[in-house]
Amino acid sequence: MTLAPAQPNASPAAQRRATKKRTEPSNFSIRMGQLALTVAVLGSWELLARAGIIDEFFFPLPSDILITVWEWVSTGYVFPHLWITMQEAVLAFFTGAAVGLILGFLLARVRILERLFDPFLKIFNALPRVVLAPIFLLWFGLGIWSKVAFGFTLVFFIVFFNTLEGVKSVDRVLVDNAKMLGATERQLLRHVFIPSALTWIFSSLHISVGFAITGAVVGEYLGASAGVGYAIAQAQGVFDTEGVFAGMFILMIVVLIIDILVNRVERHLLRWRPNQSG
Amino acid sequence: MTHPVQAEPSPYAVDLTGCTKEFATPGGGSYFAVRDIDLKVEPGRFVSIVGPTGSGKSTILNMAAGLLSPTSGTVKSFGTRIDGVNRRASYMFQQDALLPWKSVIDNVSLGLTMAGVSKADAYSESRRWLEKVGMKNFADRYPHQLSGGMRKRTAVAQAWIVNPDILLMDEPFSALDVQTRQIMENELLQLWGESGKAVVFITHDLDEAIALSDEVIILGAGPGSTVVGSYEITIPRPRDLLDIRDDPKFVELHREIWGRLKVEVSRTYASAQDEESDVA
Ligand SMILES: Nc1ncnc2c1ncn2[C@@H]1O[C@H](COP(=O)(O)OP(=O)(O)OP(=O)(O)O)[C@@H](O)[C@H]1O
Ligand SMILES: [Mg+2]
Repeated sequence: MTLAPAQPNASPAAQRRATKKRTEPSNFSIRMGQLALTVAVLGSWELLARAGIIDEFFFPLPSDILITVWEWVSTGYVFPHLWITMQEAVLAFFTGAAVGLILGFLLARVRILERLFDPFLKIFNALPRVVLAPIFLLWFGLGIWSKVAFGFTLVFFIVFFNTLEGVKSVDRVLVDNAKMLGATERQLLRHVFIPSALTWIFSSLHISVGFAITGAVVGEYLGASAGVGYAIAQAQGVFDTEGVFAGMFILMIVVLIIDILVNRVERHLLRWRPNQSG
Repeated sequence: MTHPVQAEPSPYAVDLTGCTKEFATPGGGSYFAVRDIDLKVEPGRFVSIVGPTGSGKSTILNMAAGLLSPTSGTVKSFGTRIDGVNRRASYMFQQDALLPWKSVIDNVSLGLTMAGVSKADAYSESRRWLEKVGMKNFADRYPHQLSGGMRKRTAVAQAWIVNPDILLMDEPFSALDVQTRQIMENELLQLWGESGKAVVFITHDLDEAIALSDEVIILGAGPGSTVVGSYEITIPRPRDLLDIRDDPKFVELHREIWGRLKVEVSRTYASAQDEESDVA
């Protein structure tokens, strides 16, 4: 009688061990699953378009898009445009991130400045930034600087608010400890605030990389003489949906590559953190 | 007799006079954490503060450290008024305060490197301290890779390496198991015995307070708690912490102080129950 409950007890434990194994599939099978998913989606898109169920004009065949991408790349058509867009995005990203970081730290550390600037920052942040693009075109012309300015406004606010929040959420006791050990304001920044806010800063960098490119492309789309956004606008002008999709695809790949690089830097700088995945 | 230190009027290492601390509450009111606190600690003395939870022990320590300024009253250290943090004091916090992004050795050497000591010198000094606290094999670990006791040892090294005149300790060992705790208490007494530093030590544990200190101060129940008793611990040093609880003097002091502390603890408990029934 006393043995009876023991046995059913043992088997759920064994079961749990078994399900645990089953719910944690290997990296390889995840990758295969992702590949299968991609093939399924693109394949059914291709088939549905070929069968005429979805309109090929609005949703060009994935194979045709890839061919167009290949044409743009192999003829070198896209590179001058990409180069311009990258210049704009990089400039917007670095200026926006730098100013956002500096102001973020400054306002977080000097309370009076934060209270002074708070309403203005809220107002500008509430402004839908896209409406700034036309005015920047007027101010800075058709060249790259109107796009840089536009991207800057996108990047700046994300980095700024994240830095502000990151610095303000630093654990008080860590600040107190460093102060008791004799830290000056600069040393506090270096040893406590920056490393502590780094998690926030990186999450803002991930988003703002995308936004820097968005800023450049939208700016180009609205008025430019070069850039991927301009190329997309050109394709759209002649109802070349394949070209529009090809531009989108190329931008996607570029953002992905940059994000991987940001990830690398992040993993290096945050290597002290406990490994969440265990 | 003509020793220069004795020649000058010996100022207190920690000197709180009539200190009251009032906190703003979220509701817009105010809460008096402590009221009219007088605390004088001579250099080389080991003073413990014991009191019920929420009685303002950490608040007092923060005022002595210069991290909080009192609403009224004065805080002095060696005769000068404290403005900003007290540069002659080190603080071991109740919570974990090691920087999680720095390895053990970088945490320990932080005080020295920030004071401008070269990295090589700071590291060799840190190694010496890590050896003293039994952490020399863990110099390259990050705090999250350490046990609670190891983190406390690191915190001891971090606080003492800058050679402060005052050591403020807020329940440093209360999170540790009994055995580790006794080892750490012994080590603390050894470190302190050779140093002549003033120690203000906060604890919940009356046994610990009596065993370690020259003086035990009892804080009343909050709000607005005050010092309700101060007891000289005359047990001779060096003390053997393993057997001290059998010492007749210890037993007698314990009975006397506990008689006073008990009243405050039960008052805290009673008011907590009142609040609960108010809420209900
Ligand atoms: N920043 C603050 N704002 C408002 N109230 C506070 C603040 N810090 C402390 N208090 C209040 O002051 C009282 C004393 O707090 P303190 O941390 O000094 O107690 P303590 O004696 O150290 O308690 P414990 O033994 O639990 O650590 C508590 O009632 C607490 O709620
Ligand atoms: Mg406390």
